[in-house]
Amino acid sequence: MNKRRTVAGASMLMAGVLVTAGCGAGGPSAGGGDFTDDKVVLALLNDASGVYKDVSGPNSKIAIQMAIDDYQKKYGDDAVVDKIEVTSADHQNEPDIANTKAQELYDREGADIILDVPTSSAALAVATQAKNKKKLYMNIGAGTTDLTGAQCNKYTFHYAYDTWMLANGTGTVVTEDGDKNWQLIYPDYAFGQDMVKSFTGAIEAGGGKVAGTVATPFPNDNFATYITKAGAAKPQVIGTMHAGGDLINLVKQFNDSGLKDKGVDLAVGLMFISDIHSLGVAAFEGTIFTDAWYWNFDDKSRAWADRYMEETGDRPTYAHAGNYSAAMQYLEAVQSAGTDDADKVVEELEGKKVDDMFLRNGEIRAEDHRVIHDVYLAKVKGPDDVKEDWDYEEIIKTIPAEEAFRPASESGCSM
Amino acid sequence: MTSIATAGASVTEQHAAIAGARPWQRLVLLAVGLLVALGLPWFVYPPVAMDIAAWALFAVALDLLLGYCGLLSFGHAAFWGGSAYVTGLIAIHLGVPFPVAVLGGALFAMILAVPIGYLSVKRSGIYFAMVTLAFAQMLFFIANQASSLTGGENGLQGVPRSFFGIEAVETDAFFFYYAALPIILLGMWAAWRIVHSPFGRVLVAIRDNAPRARALGYDVERYKLVAFVLSAGLSGLAGGVFALSHGFVALPELHWTTSGEVVLMTVLGGIGTLWGGVIGAGLIVMLADYLASSGFDGIGIVTGGVFVTVVLLFRRGIWGTARHLWLSRKG
Amino acid sequence: MNAVLQYTVQGLAAGSFYALAALGLAVIFGVLGVVNFAHGAFYMLGAVAAAVLLDTVGMSLWLALLVVPVLMLVFGMVIERLLVRWLLPLDPLYNLLLTFGLTLLLVDLVKRRYGVSGLPYERPAALDGRIQVAGIGLPVYQLFVIGVALLVCLGVWLLMSRTRVGMIVRAATERPELAGALGINVGRWVTPVFGFGVALAGLAGVLAAPFRAITAEMGSDFIIILFAVVVIGGLGSIVGAVTGGFLVGLVEAFGQAYAPTFAQVLIFVLMAVVVLARPAGLFGREEATA
Repeated sequence: MNKRRTVAGASMLMAGVLVTAGCGAGGPSAGGGDFTDDKVVLALLNDASGVYKDVSGPNSKIAIQMAIDDYQKKYGDDAVVDKIEVTSADHQNEPDIANTKAQELYDREGADIILDVPTSSAALAVATQAKNKKKLYMNIGAGTTDLTGAQCNKYTFHYAYDTWMLANGTGTVVTEDGDKNWQLIYPDYAFGQDMVKSFTGAIEAGGGKVAGTVATPFPNDNFATYITKAGAAKPQVIGTMHAGGDLINLVKQFNDSGLKDKGVDLAVGLMFISDIHSLGVAAFEGTIFTDAWYWNFDDKSRAWADRYMEETGDRPTYAHAGNYSAAMQYLEAVQSAGTDDADKVVEELEGKKVDDMFLRNGEIRAEDHRVIHDVYLAKVKGPDDVKEDWDYEEIIKTIPAEEAFRPASESGCSM
Repeated sequence: MTSIATAGASVTEQHAAIAGARPWQRLVLLAVGLLVALGLPWFVYPPVAMDIAAWALFAVALDLLLGYCGLLSFGHAAFWGGSAYVTGLIAIHLGVPFPVAVLGGALFAMILAVPIGYLSVKRSGIYFAMVTLAFAQMLFFIANQASSLTGGENGLQGVPRSFFGIEAVETDAFFFYYAALPIILLGMWAAWRIVHSPFGRVLVAIRDNAPRARALGYDVERYKLVAFVLSAGLSGLAGGVFALSHGFVALPELHWTTSGEVVLMTVLGGIGTLWGGVIGAGLIVMLADYLASSGFDGIGIVTGGVFVTVVLLFRRGIWGTARHLWLSRKG
Repeated sequence: MNAVLQYTVQGLAAGSFYALAALGLAVIFGVLGVVNFAHGAFYMLGAVAAAVLLDTVGMSLWLALLVVPVLMLVFGMVIERLLVRWLLPLDPLYNLLLTFGLTLLLVDLVKRRYGVSGLPYERPAALDGRIQVAGIGLPVYQLFVIGVALLVCLGVWLLMSRTRVGMIVRAATERPELAGALGINVGRWVTPVFGFGVALAGLAGVLAAPFRAITAEMGSDFIIILFAVVVIGGLGSIVGAVTGGFLVGLVEAFGQAYAPTFAQVLIFVLMAVVVLARPAGLFGREEATA
C-alpha cells in the first residue's frame, strides 16, 4: 500500500498539478547496481484453482524452488547473487487477472521474470506486459504459436510445446508408420484451426492425405455425431486436437463408437499425463500423442522425478520439469551476465545451446525465442503394462529438436 | 407476489431517503463519493482501481434494470463484452482518441440490445433471466467462431489507448485512470438522471404494478425495452473502458460467468439502491485480486458462501442495510 | 439413411439427459415457482457421486442408478429445508439468485475435494458394444440411456396422472389458481417435490457418467442448454420439458451433422423463434400478467 499524500495529493491533481512520483510506473531498473533491490525474484503466474491446476499449478513453485536450490548448490560462494526469491500468483484462468497480476509482479513485487502462464489469451496479454515493462517472461503452459510469431517480442521466450509442434509430431510420425488416410476432428476455434493447418502440412509431407475435417463447437460434451461422421469416410486414423474435458468426452465416445474395433487409430494432439492419471489408462489405452517430456524417459529425467516426488509426493508433468528448467536456465544466464538487467540476460540467453534434464539438444532460438528441443511420440500403455503409478507412457519415437518445431523462417516474428 | 426490489428497499423508503436527506447531506455524500473516486489509485494498485471503476458502472447499469424495472438480466455480459470487442477494434483500426472508441462500443451495445431486449421483455421475471442468459451465450459462441475478427481464444491483443499523444495517459495506468474516470462518472450521472426522471418513476410504477400502469395507458413493453437499451449502453461504456485499461479483450468477457459476476456485485451492494453496486464491485474486485496472491484456491467458496448468506439474511445488501439503519435511527 | 438412424439415436441419447433434468426443473418450478439455477450442479453431483461410489465401494452402475437418486433426493430435501424455504414467500428471483450462489459453492467444493482433471468411470461390460440394426451398429449404451429416460418419463407421467400425489402436483404445476381454489394444500409437498426434482437431475448425471467427462464444471454449460429447453417446452409444462429435451437433443445431433459450425447457436435460434411465435413455449400457457 502506498499511502502517499492522499487527499492533498488528489486535490493537487484536480488542480492540474501532476505529481510524477513514479506511482505505479515500472521504469527500467537503475543501472547503478548490478541487481535491483540486491536480489533476484522469480514469479510463477499460473492456474492454481482451475483446469490446469493438476498439470502445473502450485507444484510448479516447488519445481522452481528446486532450481534455485540447485543453482545455489552449484555455485556456492561464486554465485553472483545471494538472495533469490520465488513468488506466485493464481490467475484463475482469467486473462484479465493474469494481466493485472503480471503488472503487479513486475512493478510491485520486483519480479525479474514471470514463468508458466497457461491459457493462450492470458499468455499473450502477459507477453505485452513483459514488452512494456522490459522484463523477462518465459512461457511454459500455453500452446499458441503467436508467442513466437506475430506477437513475439524481445523479452518473451516460449518453452516446452506449442500447437505446431504437437500437430507436426503426431501427424508426421503416425503417417510415416503407415496410417495414410486421415480424418481430423477439431475444436472450431483458433487453437484447433492452427492445429489443422499444421497437422495437414505434416501429414502431406509424410505422404498421407487428410480426407476430411470435422469442426466441433467449443466447449462441447457431445461428440458422438462428429465421430460417426468422421468414421463414415473409413479413415485409417482419426486425429483430434481437443484438450482437457473435451478430450475426455471425445475419447469416451470414440471408445463407444466401435471404430476402435474396426482398426481405426486415434491420434491426439495435446494430452497431459495428469489427465491419464486421473482417468486411468484404460480410458486412453493405445492413444498416440506428442509429449514435450516424460519423467520416466531415461535415468537423467528419472533422477529428477525421484527428487520431485520426495518434495511433492507425485510424479512431475512436462510443466513442472519445464518450469524447473526455465528457472535454471534463467539463473545460469544471470550468473554469466553478472546482473539481473533484462537486456543483458536476454543477450546471454539468445542462441544458447542447452542440454539439461528437460531440454535435450536444446537451443534458445535467437530469431523468435522459441526454445527448441527433442520431443517424443508417446503411446498410452494398457493397464497390464503399467509397472508403477504414473508409468503410463511408452515412448515410441524421439523427434529431433530441429524437426520438432516450426522453422524460424516461417514464424513471421520480428523483434 | 412482491417485486424483487420491494423486498430489498421499498420505494417509499427510497423517497424517504431522498426527501429525508437534507441538501447538505446529499452534497456531503456526493463529495465523499467523488473523493473516493479521485483518491482510489493512491490506495489500490491503479489497474485494479480502474477495474473497480469499470465494474462499478457495470453494476449500476444492471441495477437500473434489476432495481427499477424488476428485470434480472443474466446476459449483460453480451453488452459489456460486445462493447469491449468493438471498442478494441475501433482503437486498433482507426486510432481515434480512446473516449471516441468507448462511445462507439457503447453505441454497438445499445444496437445489440434492441433485438435481444425486444425478445426478452416479452416475458418478465424468471423467463426474462433465462432468455437473456441464453442470448448472451449465443453471442459468446459467435465471437468464438469469428476468430478472424476477435482473435478467438487468443483474444484481441494489442488494443492501444490513444489520447492526443499524451504519453503519460497512454502508457501509465495511474494517469489513464484519471483520463478514463470522467467516462465512468458520466455513466453514473446518466443512471442517476434516468432514475430520478419522470421516465424513472414510470419504470418503478410498472415494476410495482404492471397491469395498473398498463391501464393508465403506458406502453409497458416499450418502457422496459428503452430501459434495457439504456442499461446496455451504460454497460457498454464500462466494458469499453475495461478493454482499454487491459489493452486486450478475451472471450471470458462474453461468458455467462461475467453476467453472473455483475449480478453478484449488484445484489451484494443492494438491489434498487443504485450506489450499492459500486460497493459490491469494489469488494468483489478487491477480493479476487487478494485471493489471486493469497495461495487460497477457493474463490467460488468465498463468493458463493457470502452471496448465499446475503440473499438469505441481508436482502437489502450492504448499502441498502446501511441506509435502512440510518433511516430507522432517525425514526 | 443409415447415418440418419445413427444421428437420431445420438440425438435422442443426448436429449435423454436434457429431458430427465428438465423434467426435474419443471416439477420444481411447478410446485415451488422456483427456477433452480443449481440444477446443472446437481447433475454434476450425480455423476460425481456415481464415480466416487464406484471408486470407494465398487458400486456398479446398476446399483448407482437406484442409490444415487435416493441420495440426491435426501440432499435436495435438506437444501430446500435449509435454504430455499425461507425465500419462497418472496419474488422467485431471489431463489434464482440463491441457487446461483449455491452453484458457485458446490462447483468449488467438488473441485477442491476431487480435483480438476475429472474422475474415471468404468461401465458394466453388459452395456459395452453395439447392436446391429438394419446393418449398422448402434451403441448399446446410447440405447440403454434412451430406454431408461423413456421409462422414467413414463413412470413420472403415470405418477402424475394415476396417483393422488400426482394430481396435487399436476394441479399445482399446471393450474395453480385452480389448486388454490379447490383448497388443496400444496405446502406439504414442497420439500419432497424439490428433492424429487433434484433426484432427476442426479439420475441424468449418473447416466452421463460413463459417457461424459466427469468434472466439477460439467454442469456449467449444461444448465444453459437446460434453460433453453424449458423456455422452448414451456416452463409450466411437464410434457413440454420432456418434449423440449428430446427436441433439443435432436437439433444438436442433426445440427452437428449438417451444420457443424452453427450447431450450438442453432439451439438458441430455435429458442428465439419459439419466444417470438409462442412466448409461453410450445406447451406452456400464457401468463396471466406479464
